[in-house]
Amino acid sequence: MSEKLYEIVANVFNVELSKINDETSPENLEQWDSFNFYVLLDEIENQFSITFNLDETLEIKKIGDFKQLLEKNGVKI
Amino acid sequence: MKNEENLAYFLNEAKTIKPRELGKKIRIAFLASSTINGFEETMRVKCFQKGIDCITYVADYNQYNQEILNQDSELYKFKPDITFLILDTRHILGEYFFSPYSIDYNGRKEIVYTKHKEIQNICKKFHENFDSKLVVTSLQIPSYSPYGISEGENYGFKDIIYKINHELFDEFQQPTSQKVFIYDFNEFVSKFGENNIFNYKQFFSGDIKISIEYIPKFVNELMGYVYGVTGTSKKCIVLDLDNTLWGGIIGEEGFDNIKLGDNPIGRSFVEFQKRLLALNKRGIILAINSKNNFDDAIDVIQKHPNMILKEENFASVKINWDDKVVNLQKIAEELNIGLDSMVFFDDDPINQEYVKKLLPEVLVVDLPKDSSQYSQIITEMKEFDVLKITEEDTKRSDMYLGQKKRKELENKVGDFNEFLKQMNIEVNIQKANSFSIPRISQLTLKTNQFNLTTRRYQEEEVSKFSSSDNKIVECVKVSDKFGDNGITGTYIIEKKNNDEWIIDTFLLSCRIMGRGVEETMMNQIIEKAKSSGIKKIKGEFISTTKNKPAENFYEKLGFKKENQFWVFNTDNIIKKPEHVKVIKNE
Repeated sequence: MSEKLYEIVANVFNVELSKINDETSPENLEQWDSFNFYVLLDEIENQFSITFNLDETLEIKKIGDFKQLLEKNGVKI
Repeated sequence: MKNEENLAYFLNEAKTIKPRELGKKIRIAFLASSTINGFEETMRVKCFQKGIDCITYVADYNQYNQEILNQDSELYKFKPDITFLILDTRHILGEYFFSPYSIDYNGRKEIVYTKHKEIQNICKKFHENFDSKLVVTSLQIPSYSPYGISEGENYGFKDIIYKINHELFDEFQQPTSQKVFIYDFNEFVSKFGENNIFNYKQFFSGDIKISIEYIPKFVNELMGYVYGVTGTSKKCIVLDLDNTLWGGIIGEEGFDNIKLGDNPIGRSFVEFQKRLLALNKRGIILAINSKNNFDDAIDVIQKHPNMILKEENFASVKINWDDKVVNLQKIAEELNIGLDSMVFFDDDPINQEYVKKLLPEVLVVDLPKDSSQYSQIITEMKEFDVLKITEEDTKRSDMYLGQKKRKELENKVGDFNEFLKQMNIEVNIQKANSFSIPRISQLTLKTNQFNLTTRRYQEEEVSKFSSSDNKIVECVKVSDKFGDNGITGTYIIEKKNNDEWIIDTFLLSCRIMGRGVEETMMNQIIEKAKSSGIKKIKGEFISTTKNKPAENFYEKLGFKKENQFWVFNTDNIIKKPEHVKVIKNE
C-alpha cells in the first residue's frame, strides 16, 4: 500500500516514483511547495476516501507522516 | 491515475507548455479578493489544449483596487485582453457576513448601496482606463442565514447580496455594455453545490475559497469568455442520426420502432433535440452527416410526430453512404465555414476517432453509449459562447434557409448573371453606430475568407475608430428576395492625408461573396474618396492560409501594385454591378 501513496505523491509533484520515500519532504524535494501540499493532501484524502482533521494535517512534515496518519485512521499501509 | 480533470494535472502540465507562436493569442489577468493559486495554470493549459497561446498575469491578492486605480501598476504594463475580477461575499461583506442582523433595516439597505457602488466604481474606472474586457464574478448567495427559516424579509441577509448582484447585472450585463461582463457565480454554485466548492479546512489552512477539486471546474466556466474574445467560438453542430438524434437504427428497425419520445430512451433524444433547437434559434447552425438511405431517414425528419428538429433547422443535409470525413468537408464548403468552427456529434466511437484523426480541426464530442447523458454534455459545453448574441446570430437559421433557396434558384436559372438579376439584391451602406459596432467587431474576429487584411478588432477598438476623424468605419446590410442577411460586410478606411486613403480593413461574409456586393462596397469607397478630393486609394492584401478567395480582388478592379500596396487612382472608374441596388444611410 505504500506504493499507492508514493504513486499519488509522484503524480502530484510530477517526479519519478523512485525519488519518493518516507523521508521525502519540502527540504529534499523542490517541487513540494506550500500550495501543492494542499493539492497533495486533497488527492490523498480522495484516493483513500478519508478526511483528516485540521490539526492532523498541520503535523505533516514528510511523506512518512502521511503514512502514519493513514494507519492511525485505519487505512492499512 | 493521471486524471485530466484534477488540479495536479494542470499544475504539472502548465510547467511544460510553451507558446507556439501560431494561431490565436490571449493575455489574461486575474484579480481577486483572496488567493487564487492554480487558476492561471489551469487557464493556460486549457487554452493551450484549444490551440490558444495564453499569457497570464496574477495580481497579489486583494490588490485589485490599487491595480486598477494606479496607472503605473503592473496590470497596466501587462495590457490584458481580458481581466477576471474574482470577488467573494465574505470579503465584500466583512463582519456583516456573519452578523447581518446586527444592523437594522436601513443599515442593511445602506450596505447594498455602498457595496454595489464600490464594485460599480471600480468597474467604471476599469472601463475608462483599459482596453481590456473585464469579467466580474457576482457574489455568492450563501445557503445559510442566522435567521434560518425565518430569513426572507426585504433587505434580509440573502436579499442584500441578491440586490447587490442585481444592481451589477442591471448596470453591466446589458446589450450596450461592451467591456464589463458579470459572471453569474451562483450558476457555478448551483451546478456543483456550496458544500463541494467550499472546504473549510482548505480555507483555514490556505485561504482557499474555491476548493482544490473544483478549481479546474471553475476555470472551465470562464472559458466561454476566452472563446468569445479570441473569436474561437463554434458556429455549427454536425449530427449523426441513428442513436444520436433518435434511438435505434432506422434502416433496421423502421419508422415505427425507433425510439423518440414516449419511453425512457426516446425521451432522452427528445430532450437532446430540444437543446439543439434552442442553440439553433440563437445562431448555431445545424447539419446532418449520416450513413443511411436518404428516403428512410428524411421520412423520420419530415413525418415523425416526436421529431423536434425539422428539415428547415438543418442548413445542410448529408444522408448518404459516403465517407463521413468527405461529408464534413462538403458541409464546410457548402456553408462557407471553417472546419475549425464545427462540432461533430456521433455516437459511434469509431467514427469519432476517424474524424479526430483526419480532421483534427473539428471538435469531436466524446459521446458516450448512454443517451441519457447527451443533454448534459451539450449544456455543459462552453464552446458556443460568444460575448454577445447579435441580431445576426438569432436570424442565422433563417438566413441559411434563404441560402438554400438561393442555391435552388441558381441551379434552376442556370445563367449566373440572370440569377443575380432575379435576386433583387439590396445593399444598405451605413456608418458604424452603437448597434452595429458589436457586429462589426464580430465580423473582423470571425471572417477568414473574403478578408483583405484579416485585422482582428475588439468592440472598443472599432468604437474608437468610428469616433475618430481620421477613420471611416462603415458596414453593409445585404438583403435579397429570399430574406435579410443582416450586416455582412464592413470596411475601415484610414484617411492618411489630403491625397490618400488607406484601406485598413475590407471584408465580406463568405455567405455573400461573389454576388457583386464586394464590388459595390469598393465603389462606394471610391466615390466617397473622389468627392473628398482624394487622389489615391491604397490597400494591402495580407495573405493568410484562408483568404485565397480575396487574393485577386484589387487586381480585378483595376488597382495597380506598388510595393506592398495596391493603388487605385480615383481619376479612373470601376464598373458598378448593375444588379445591386444601393441605399445609403449616412
